[in-house]
Parts: sequence; structure tokens; C-alpha cells
Amino acid sequence: MSEKLIEFRNVTYIYETDEEDEAPSVPALDGVNLTVSKGEFLCVLGHNGSGKSTLAKMCNAILEPTDGEVIVAGMSTKEEENGDLIRRKVGMVFQNPDNQIVATIVEDDVAFGPENLGVEPSEIRRRVDEALKAVNMYDLRLRQPHNLSGGQKQRVAIAGVLAMQTEVIVLDEPTAMLDPVGRQEVLSTIHKLNKELGITVIMVTHFMEEAVDADRVIVMNAGRIVLDGTPREVFSNTAAVKSCGLDVPQSTELCSRLGVKRTVLTAQEAVEEIIKLCGGVV
Amino acid sequence: MMAPALEIKNLTHYYYKGTKNQIAAVENVSLTVEKGETLGIIGHTGSGKSTLISHFNGLLKPDEGEVIVDGKNIFENKETLRQSRFKVGLCFQYPEYQLFEETVYKDIAFGPKNMKLPSEEIDRRVQNAAKLAGVKQELLNKSPFDLSGGEKRRAAIAGVMSMEPEVLVLDEPAAGLDPAGRLDLIKMIRHYRDVTGCTVIIVSHSMEDIARIADRVCVLANAKVAMHGTVKEVYSKGDELRSMGLNVPEITRIMLMLREKGIDVPADIYSPDDAVSAVRNYIEGRRGV
Repeated sequence: MSEKLIEFRNVTYIYETDEEDEAPSVPALDGVNLTVSKGEFLCVLGHNGSGKSTLAKMCNAILEPTDGEVIVAGMSTKEEENGDLIRRKVGMVFQNPDNQIVATIVEDDVAFGPENLGVEPSEIRRRVDEALKAVNMYDLRLRQPHNLSGGQKQRVAIAGVLAMQTEVIVLDEPTAMLDPVGRQEVLSTIHKLNKELGITVIMVTHFMEEAVDADRVIVMNAGRIVLDGTPREVFSNTAAVKSCGLDVPQSTELCSRLGVKRTVLTAQEAVEEIIKLCGGVV
Repeated sequence: MMAPALEIKNLTHYYYKGTKNQIAAVENVSLTVEKGETLGIIGHTGSGKSTLISHFNGLLKPDEGEVIVDGKNIFENKETLRQSRFKVGLCFQYPEYQLFEETVYKDIAFGPKNMKLPSEEIDRRVQNAAKLAGVKQELLNKSPFDLSGGEKRRAAIAGVMSMEPEVLVLDEPAAGLDPAGRLDLIKMIRHYRDVTGCTVIIVSHSMEDIARIADRVCVLANAKVAMHGTVKEVYSKGDELRSMGLNVPEITRIMLMLREKGIDVPADIYSPDDAVSAVRNYIEGRRGV
């Protein structure tokens, strides 16, 4: 049976209001139960304010539950002494590539994490090279980050997490600021790390078509998980997805409106189904 | 004839000018935007979009070429430059990071205040811009930092609308919003355009969003204008767009793939609604034969 890596046990989180004048705030997470297994590729969908980012930040103890518990590799994020260990297991990549690069040379940036952990210099060298190769940025290792494209910067940020040898990467809308090609670069990198290195991936996104290749999709609404299943299971429920302020991929929508029975996820599948509707290949 | 709202003539802008690293961020770009028109500007990251639009109200000065707003070269003198700041309202990416006042009201009032308008006029403009941008009345006295992400975005856009510019330029206004939020924001901009009759220029990576709002599209690639035309004209060139680091909407891609398979649906389809009718028409057409 697959190994549990991250477990949310009835987790509630309430952001503290600064003054008493405010009405008590609604929980950002409301009784969330979730288990993420080793090697899984999990996509988290939800409208703005649904609790996605809060959930992401709980995975490596940036936020601690107000109620309930988050267990990462057997350690509760509530115990302060676990914080460092947990953050070595679970790395985060955020939306804005410009906010997470600290060094003036690509390879120095990737080395920043392991240096802080006090890793041996020769070992740092090895990890940095490996990480940069994994994200296909090795040839640009001596470049200055500000001269890179958005997609390249995000891949440097991912390499920085890899160099820490984390088992889980949590990405909070990693492609929101990228152009279509940059998005594709980053996505294929993430999938490669998941398949080839067995890294567990939790990716928050607003782009439905980025979720179709995940193993599992959860949809958040008002701090709760309202849908949970394979992409095909989740997107077959168009009405429920739309009622959460989201959409299904355009291929899915087109085929369902044309009366195709099967839930279609990709353009390729849509083309196959439409050819059938048209009575086979012309 | 009426002067265009904005005219860019042979504009070139270099970075690292005069050094061996000199590189043209914008190269010999010419562009005319008519009054009341909505222009979409698309292009890969680093194609020069943001550099180009920073010239529209003189935040950047071109190394070569001219920027003409409402018939006047904005770099003619200090006054024309100052006027261009009011005539062309620029709203950058993630404008909510630039909110800074104590209240949302003051933030929206900042622009008109700088225009030295009387206080009743400032108030009228703040109320009007808040309404147009969909900022709820009860939020005006709150601190901008207590607003949700979507509300902050709207407040920041209202802060540009309150200057009542003749040309509103928005850089990736819907970035980071969820699908429903994106659609609402595009609808808001469409409504603003229809009510005010203003010229709107919208920069985006989202081919879907551009299709929803623009009359014409200008594609930048490697600092130059690579394509220019109506949405239908530009989107029918899927292969060329892909070679420029862009992509057509998924629905358009399906149509293009069907055509390759010999199914003769139109190539210029970019919404699921149009695609459904196109496929149905095709099937009915074949039955008819």
C-alpha cells in the first residue's frame, strides 16, 4: 500500500483579525481531511479565496492549524522543533518568480538552500548540478536570473527546492505569471520530476487544463474539499465544478455539449470523439 | 477626420544603450489605435509588450520614433507630456501591490487629486470609478489591505479610471484570478468601454481573454510587430502563433486538428459556443449531401 506522506486531520484555520472591531472571520479552512501519498501528483483547484493557498502553506508548516493536525512524514506541524525537518521534506514554489530568487547567478541561487543547511561544498556542487540538469537549466547556470524568462526563473526556483532534496514540492500557482510556452516548460518539468524522480507534487492552479494530467484533483470551496477524484471523475461533474466558480477544460465542455457520453479531457480526445460523431475519418 | 486616440510611429527602445550589450526591447513598432477601439496586445514573455506600453504616456522615452496622443507628440514639451499622463491611464500587472493609502477612497482619489481638480469633482470621479470598476460602496472607507485579492485588483483599476483617461491601458488585468473572476473582470472592462466610449488597450497572455474583448490584435514577437489584424484573422494562424511562443485557445486548436483530419470546420473559432455550432453545421452539411 502506498505510504502516507502528508495527512490533514480535521484541519481548520482562521486568519486572525488585527482589531476587535471586525466580525469573527470565517475559517479559511474548515474541517479538511486529506491524505497525500508518496509519489502522488495532486492538483488543487478552487476560486480565489477558497482556501487553496492556505492549504498549500500548511503542508510545510508556514501556517499551523487553528484546530486539527497536519502530519508530514509522521511529524506534526504543530511542534515547533519539527519545523526545520518538515521544510526539508516539503519545498514550496510560489507564483511570482521575481520574489523567490535571492542570488545574482543562477547556480548560486540553487545553492542557497543547501548552503543554509550546512551541506559539504562538494556535495552542494553535486546537488546543484543535478538539480539544474533535472529542470533543464544546466546550460544557463552562470546566467544572471534577471535576464531569464519567467518560465526559466520558475525552473530555477524549482531547482532550488530540489537541491534541498525535498520529497514533496508544493507549487502555488507556479504558472500564473507565465506565457503559454513558459507554462508548458514549467509543467513538463514538474511532471518529469514526479515520474522520473518520484517526487510527490501538490500543485495549486487556476488553469483547468493543467489539472488533466494529475493523478488526482481536489476542488476547494469555502474552506472545504468539495470534489475529490481523478481528473476525469471531477470534470465529468461539470455543474458542480462550475458552481465552485471554476470551469471544465474547453475540450470537456465542447464534447459534453455535443452529446459525447465519455468525459473528454484533452484536445486530442476531443478530436477523436468529434471524428466519430462525423461518421469516421473522411 | 478625427485624430486617432494613439499613434506610435517607428518606435525603437534600446536597453543598455551604447554598451556592447545593447539590445532593442522594441524595434521599429508602428501602431494606430482609433478612438473607441479595443486593441489586444499579445506576445511571449520578453517580447517587449510592457516596454512598449510604458511609452504610451511617456514613462519611457523612445530612442527613435514618436508617440502621438490625440494628435499631439507627447514629447513636444513638458505640458504635452503632463497631459499625456492624464489622457492615457496605465494600469500595470498586479496593480494591487501599488495600493498605499489609508483608505480605498483616498487611493482612488490619488490621481484626480494630482490633477488639481476641485474636491466635488474628485468625489464625483471616485464614486463613478468605484462603480464602474465594481468596488462596493462599503469598501471605500476600509483600508485597502483589508480587501480580498479580487477587490484590491478592482480598487487599483478604479484608481486609474478615476483620472478619466481617454485611453485606458491594462497590463494583464486578469492575471492570477480564477476562471469566474477572469470572466467578471473582462465583463467589467467591456462595460466600462461601452459606458464611457473610451479607447482600451489590453495586454494579455490569455488568448481566450483577448478573444472575449478585443476588436483588433497586435502580436509582438522579439521586439517587433509580428502580426496585426482582427481577432479572427490573427487566431486563424495557429502555427505562426505557436512559433512565436503563443498558443491559440484550446478550442481553436481542436478546430485546426479537425481540419488536418479532413473535417472542414472553420479555423477561426475561439469559443465553445461557436465550436458547438460549427461541428453541428458540419454534420448537418454532410447529411445533406
